[in-house]
Amino acid sequence: MRIAAKRTKRFLRRFWRGLREWCGDAAYESYLRSTAHQIGSCRTLSQTEFYVDQLNRRYSRPNRCC
Amino acid sequence: MKRILKFVVWLAVGLLGGGALGAIAFHRGEPLNAMWFVVAALCCYLVAFRLYSAFVAARVLALDDTRATPAERHDDGRDFVPTNKWVLFGHHFAAIAGPGPLVGPTLAAQFGYLPGTLWLIVGAAFGGCVQDFVILFCSIRRDGKSLGQMAREEVSKRGGIIAQLAVLAIMVILLAVIALVVVNALKSSPWATFTLATTIPIALLLGVYLRFVRPGRVLEASIMGVALVIFVVVAGQWVADSPYWSNVFTLSGLSLTAAIIIYGFSASALPVWLLLAPRDYLSAFIKAGAIFSLAAGILLVRPQVLMPPLTRFIDGTGPVFAGKIFPFCFITIACGAVSGFHSLISSGTTPKMILREGHARFIGYGAMLLESFVGVMAMVAACAMTPGVYFAINSPPSIVGATADAGAATIRSWGYPLQPETMTNLAHAVGEITLWNRAGGAPSLAVGMAQIFSNTIGGPRLLSIWYHFAIMFEALFILTVLDAGTRVGRFMVQELGGRIWAPFGRRGWMPGILLSSAMIVAMWGYFLYQGVIDPLGGINSLWPLFGIGNQLLAAVALVVATTILLKMKKLRWIWVTLVPTVWLVIVTMTASYQKIFDPSPRLGFLASAKDLARQITEGKIAAAKIADTQRLIFNLRLDAAVTAIFALMVLVLVIEAIFQWYSILSHRREAVLHESPYIATRWAPNFSGAGHGTAVGDAIGDD
Repeated sequence: MRIAAKRTKRFLRRFWRGLREWCGDAAYESYLRSTAHQIGSCRTLSQTEFYVDQLNRRYSRPNRCC
Repeated sequence: MKRILKFVVWLAVGLLGGGALGAIAFHRGEPLNAMWFVVAALCCYLVAFRLYSAFVAARVLALDDTRATPAERHDDGRDFVPTNKWVLFGHHFAAIAGPGPLVGPTLAAQFGYLPGTLWLIVGAAFGGCVQDFVILFCSIRRDGKSLGQMAREEVSKRGGIIAQLAVLAIMVILLAVIALVVVNALKSSPWATFTLATTIPIALLLGVYLRFVRPGRVLEASIMGVALVIFVVVAGQWVADSPYWSNVFTLSGLSLTAAIIIYGFSASALPVWLLLAPRDYLSAFIKAGAIFSLAAGILLVRPQVLMPPLTRFIDGTGPVFAGKIFPFCFITIACGAVSGFHSLISSGTTPKMILREGHARFIGYGAMLLESFVGVMAMVAACAMTPGVYFAINSPPSIVGATADAGAATIRSWGYPLQPETMTNLAHAVGEITLWNRAGGAPSLAVGMAQIFSNTIGGPRLLSIWYHFAIMFEALFILTVLDAGTRVGRFMVQELGGRIWAPFGRRGWMPGILLSSAMIVAMWGYFLYQGVIDPLGGINSLWPLFGIGNQLLAAVALVVATTILLKMKKLRWIWVTLVPTVWLVIVTMTASYQKIFDPSPRLGFLASAKDLARQITEGKIAAAKIADTQRLIFNLRLDAAVTAIFALMVLVLVIEAIFQWYSILSHRREAVLHESPYIATRWAPNFSGAGHGTAVGDAIGDD
């Protein structure tokens, strides 16, 4: 029973993370992790700047199909 | 022992799939249960994925998990983001799944359920999935380069320019035809028009929330948005019941055309965070929900498929669109089996986010299989209604007759029983004024979906709510393609214009933004207008044009893929991409030829123009209608010219590629691959993407 609860919890945690990544909720966290590894890179964007920048990038190339 | 067990299980899956396909193909007489379609499709997909995609991955492409992908090498948290394969599968599927696999199979149901279903399964397994997978692989090996860049580097400079022009031209037709589907779905429907119109202020509200209140909190904003959208679907009934508001939201085809053109321009010119992105979030959630609900509904209700396997219209005399089963079944199904547009996604965002080369099989091949399954479900939904009702909804008045009595009599004369009151009762049940002559596929698919949903939850009382939910779902994500496509088209126009006059190419220059937005909207808007005023309903001419364009783009992608395989010295396995290329070139060239030169005025653009010109000369057209008829003649000639340009562009690229292949095979030219150099991955084999820099075991499961 305890094992089943543990597995369910782990599954739900993974599902929640996956959902946040899929819809873009976790994009800024991912960006911060990425910039933390870059030495001497440019200024880190704020969450609002990053959100707008990311949208401008995404919608400047084909990202929705017929 | 384990191997034997595996073999037995896969043999059983294969036999089950083969048996179900056989039942679909050879069943005659009594209606067939939809479960046969589901079982046949799922088993065939499983076998195709397990065997064929594994073969392509191992033998043809030799995927290498030790090689660092662009996401690892250029990880910047913006464009290049290492992403868990399930999450990326979701991203990729959300990007490739558009209205095509829903509308195409619905229209192709006029030939009966059999040809469309077979092509959806076979075409996807051996054509569409292979194209998506191979192009994704090629782009990964080239730092996420686009199809146009790969065509320029691997085929020729001219090939690259042709590919870029083909994308722009096909995008214009695509945007026009999907806008036409929305116009035909909303025409004279105050409920549907109100619902869709209110999604715009909802999107603006979400845009402001995401920009200023809680930046980037997409999930919570989307949940609020979806709740509001469901509310307005229900509230639409009150609007339809109110004489005043019903009148306000009852719009003609031309009024809707103007509204959609203004919307497209606004979405392209306004900041992306304000309207376009929040609509896209709404659409993504509703799309995922509606597709899973449809699958669940079909499994729960298990509807009977009432359409015969083959109809009399395989001879080319169909009322929905003209043309014989070959090549027009393949052209009409388009995206559900093979879609050229997918190659733009496979060489766009996805290759920059993929964690390992090995994931390309699951994401590239697997996502297309799922899209094909969506097409099979759309086919089931369309074929689950009585054939008489299907033809009544999808046929234009110029073919079946302008009145309900005349329409019913015409459809009965084709051998499909239909009483006028059946359509009146159905329209009343779904909350519409009429369901006659609603060509475009969306209304008939919505009726099919609503019947399946209402049999699952709510019964006949909720039929009207489900119908309008389905219409809203289709229109919402069609408009998402329309606004995103218009914006991308605007950038293409700016890029081309920037070569002539540099300031025009600057993306932040407001006059350039407004002018390029106006240009791209004017291009697709003109074709939309021509479709709306077309007496045959527009779909008859524009959908085949879109299908031809889409399949030609797929041929372009496969030509590039074949050239790359040849340069990789995979001559032995070249048939993997060459066979679908040859098939697509044959199908599209035949369709192009027939659409231009066929002597029947219903099929051939030039014959139709000639027929109308003859009627003017013989005085058969009333003086008041001569100007309109002359405009129709011009439009038909324009359609013929566009088809010819599509075909010519692809012929030039194919000839270029054949010269390239010949030079390589005869050792006159060295086969130079433009791959990025090999760099070994630094990540552990069990690394799955999220939280690099944190404990690997804490990352999202990849298992």
